[in-house]
Amino acid sequence: MRDGSAARRTRWILARIAIAFALGTLVLAIWPDGLFAQEASGYQGYREYGEFPVIGSRAAIWIAAQLHLFFAAFVLGVPMFAVVAEATGILNKEKRFDKLAKEFTRLLLVSYSATAIWGAILVFGLITLYPRVWSYLAVVFAPSMWLYTGIFFLESFTLYLYYYGWDRWTTGRSKWGHLGLGVLLNVWGTAVMVIANSWVTFMMSPPAEVTPDTAPSMVRLWSAIANATWMPLNIHRFIANIVFGGAIVSAYSAYRFLLAKTDEERAHYDWMGYIGNFVAISALIVLPFAGYWLGREIYEFNQQMGITMMGGFMSWLWIVQAFLIGVLFLAGNYYLWVGMGRIPGAERFTPYTKYMLVVLVLGVIVWATPHTMIANRSEISAMGGQFHPFLGVLGVMSAKNTAVNLMILTTFLSFLLYRRANKDPVVTWARTGTLIQGSLFVIAAAIVLFYGIYGYFVTAIVRIGFSVYQVAAVLVAIFGVIGIDVLIMRGAKSRGEIRWGEMPARSQYALFVLAVTFTWLMGLMGFARSGIRQHWHIFEVMRDTSEFAATPALGYASIVISACVLIFLVLVAFIFWVGGLAEKPIIVSLASTGPGTHPIERTED
Amino acid sequence: MLLQNLKILSVVVITLGLYTWVSNAIPQVRSEVPEELTFTGEVSEAQLIAAGGDLFAGAGGCTACHGLGTRAPNLLSDEAGTGPIGQRCGERVPGQECKNYLYSSLTETRAFLVPGYDPIMVDQRINLSENQLWALVAYLQSQGGSVTVSGADLQAAASEDTTPAAAGGGATTTSTSLEPMELIRSNMCFACHKLGDEGAQVGPPFDGIGDRLSAAEIRTSILDPRAGASEGYEPLIGIMPANFGQVFTAAQLEAIVQFLASRR
Repeated sequence: MRDGSAARRTRWILARIAIAFALGTLVLAIWPDGLFAQEASGYQGYREYGEFPVIGSRAAIWIAAQLHLFFAAFVLGVPMFAVVAEATGILNKEKRFDKLAKEFTRLLLVSYSATAIWGAILVFGLITLYPRVWSYLAVVFAPSMWLYTGIFFLESFTLYLYYYGWDRWTTGRSKWGHLGLGVLLNVWGTAVMVIANSWVTFMMSPPAEVTPDTAPSMVRLWSAIANATWMPLNIHRFIANIVFGGAIVSAYSAYRFLLAKTDEERAHYDWMGYIGNFVAISALIVLPFAGYWLGREIYEFNQQMGITMMGGFMSWLWIVQAFLIGVLFLAGNYYLWVGMGRIPGAERFTPYTKYMLVVLVLGVIVWATPHTMIANRSEISAMGGQFHPFLGVLGVMSAKNTAVNLMILTTFLSFLLYRRANKDPVVTWARTGTLIQGSLFVIAAAIVLFYGIYGYFVTAIVRIGFSVYQVAAVLVAIFGVIGIDVLIMRGAKSRGEIRWGEMPARSQYALFVLAVTFTWLMGLMGFARSGIRQHWHIFEVMRDTSEFAATPALGYASIVISACVLIFLVLVAFIFWVGGLAEKPIIVSLASTGPGTHPIERTED
Repeated sequence: MLLQNLKILSVVVITLGLYTWVSNAIPQVRSEVPEELTFTGEVSEAQLIAAGGDLFAGAGGCTACHGLGTRAPNLLSDEAGTGPIGQRCGERVPGQECKNYLYSSLTETRAFLVPGYDPIMVDQRINLSENQLWALVAYLQSQGGSVTVSGADLQAAASEDTTPAAAGGGATTTSTSLEPMELIRSNMCFACHKLGDEGAQVGPPFDGIGDRLSAAEIRTSILDPRAGASEGYEPLIGIMPANFGQVFTAAQLEAIVQFLASRR
């Protein structure tokens, strides 16, 4: 089904979404009994589905779930590196990290209520619009739902203690105790996430013993929780939350940077943006490996589901994903390259950026090459066969895995050059160490290329195994190079301090693009994960018999995702603005930020 | 400040617009719900073929594997020199009529696995009604062969409930027999396991299983096949139905366990 009037339809649907929410809120407020017509149903007189005006039940639940997830990801991701930043501050005795952690946490505080509000909207939406599936899940997961609310309660109050105790427990054992609260906050947050993940993964991959005839009361709780995709999704979301949290913090910093009135303020938010971006890109590098695991478990659970995801009606989704990830890699590296302009000594490495750009662009092109697509007869004949005669060769997994691994290596190289830009090692084995680092890069790239090419000459099942070798080579190189670099840079001579704040505005727009892209990508992957159930609420157990049972095409999905992202960013901007009214930012002068130095602190409370 | 805010908003909106445009510019494919067919005994051949064709290319999701010839046999054109499926279906299983073979291959998907392909297809009764299945059979027959499906097949199917749910949701048996070989045959174990000259070499063979596993391990592997796999068969975990505990009586299960444990 093609649509040539995408732009007009986009405007039309966006308008409908906006009108629907306004109308929905109004009608709910004044006429709750009349809104949802009671449908005839054979289920003990209760309806199976409710109705939502204009956009329909599916879009309403979709938007509520997506926005809840965006906020939840943010409030789970930010505490992770707030704690790491606080610990860094304690261990290195650098107060700027402590203040950074506190500012992160302040963003967190106001986002919590938004998370809870959207969570409530989602739950009430499910109860009123999808009561049958909600009842089923409530029976299966009742104990874990109570546990969820209990832990959420603990999490909220731990956060209050963590934030409001910041300036009270500042030294000695009390400071370590405060850090412990931060760790506890993460423990609660992760527990809440894995409980909720069990509900959604059960809908994707219910245990084999659960059939359409199984009464929900007969489903064993642990069997339902520990389903095939639960743990891979836990890991995937855990890492993705860090990425997301970093990206949103970067965007916040970029916004503050662009509106900053003083150099001091600009320097602070430049540094904060860098840290957020560093965290986001670092976690992004390992995210694909968690994604491979999740994909593999989906295939193991049900090969047809895996094929639907990768080669069925969702096959084009991965081309869009490749495009988005290409944007992330390019924008992330661009930010680093521009940032090197404020580092004395970085000019040594500037000539290499064009080669890295070439690798990244070629990588994106290969990764975004279509291969196994659903095509009709006319498309196949126009292409001259099932696969394009030339591009088909580049579209196979061998080429794509090779491309993405080389892109990861290149991005890591950008980070390394950035890190070393203003430093000259003084250890006697510096040259040898650098040569070993270079060798690790070359060997990893050679292994990736070797298995990429060799993959064309073996069967598919053997080829799949090659991706493990490629990934392992890249990870070994990354960790090996980092390990050597930490040792090699001990006591390194500085070529000059980083001139924080001396960043062109375009670099900050790159951070906005990164944040929007991360958020959009999260929505897209959520659509993929949920959409592969197709017309099942619970895969092959409970069929979706509503008028919205068909899974929409990517065009429609993209409109809903864009609407969700826009709503989220507007709300986040509002929340941050409100937060800024109550408390002025904590500015830490970064005029002198070399290791062991103490930046000048100026807190405007 | 207002100008700056507008610039930021523009970057956000342009980025969102770009992604929305790209997603709308690519081919738009929906995952349709298989449309229920309300055929009666009066249905014509053309109606069956048309309905089956729609299912094959659309909501049935068949083309994701069968259209490419890489994951599953190509049904619409040639497959290894044997022609399209309508031409070759009558020769796949000696003595079995084309339409019966096609119906069985949609419902007992591992019983007739074509060599060289993985057992990835699930029982299509989970997704499709009897009318839909017979429409698909008619469409496949029309690909190079003669359509023999008629309204009588649909009426016969309507008179008996053959859905997996009605039959137990996976592996099925209504037998009260305690004869191990009969139970093994009737529960399609030979679709994946080989014993002597019988069965397919997909999962671990039954030959010599008593040397490799104890009776307790065999029992566990029948009742909880996802708990583990024999060496080299790990990728196939999840393929074996996990509901044999509900299918067999205790006596039947023990009969099979003792029978297999004695295969040395």
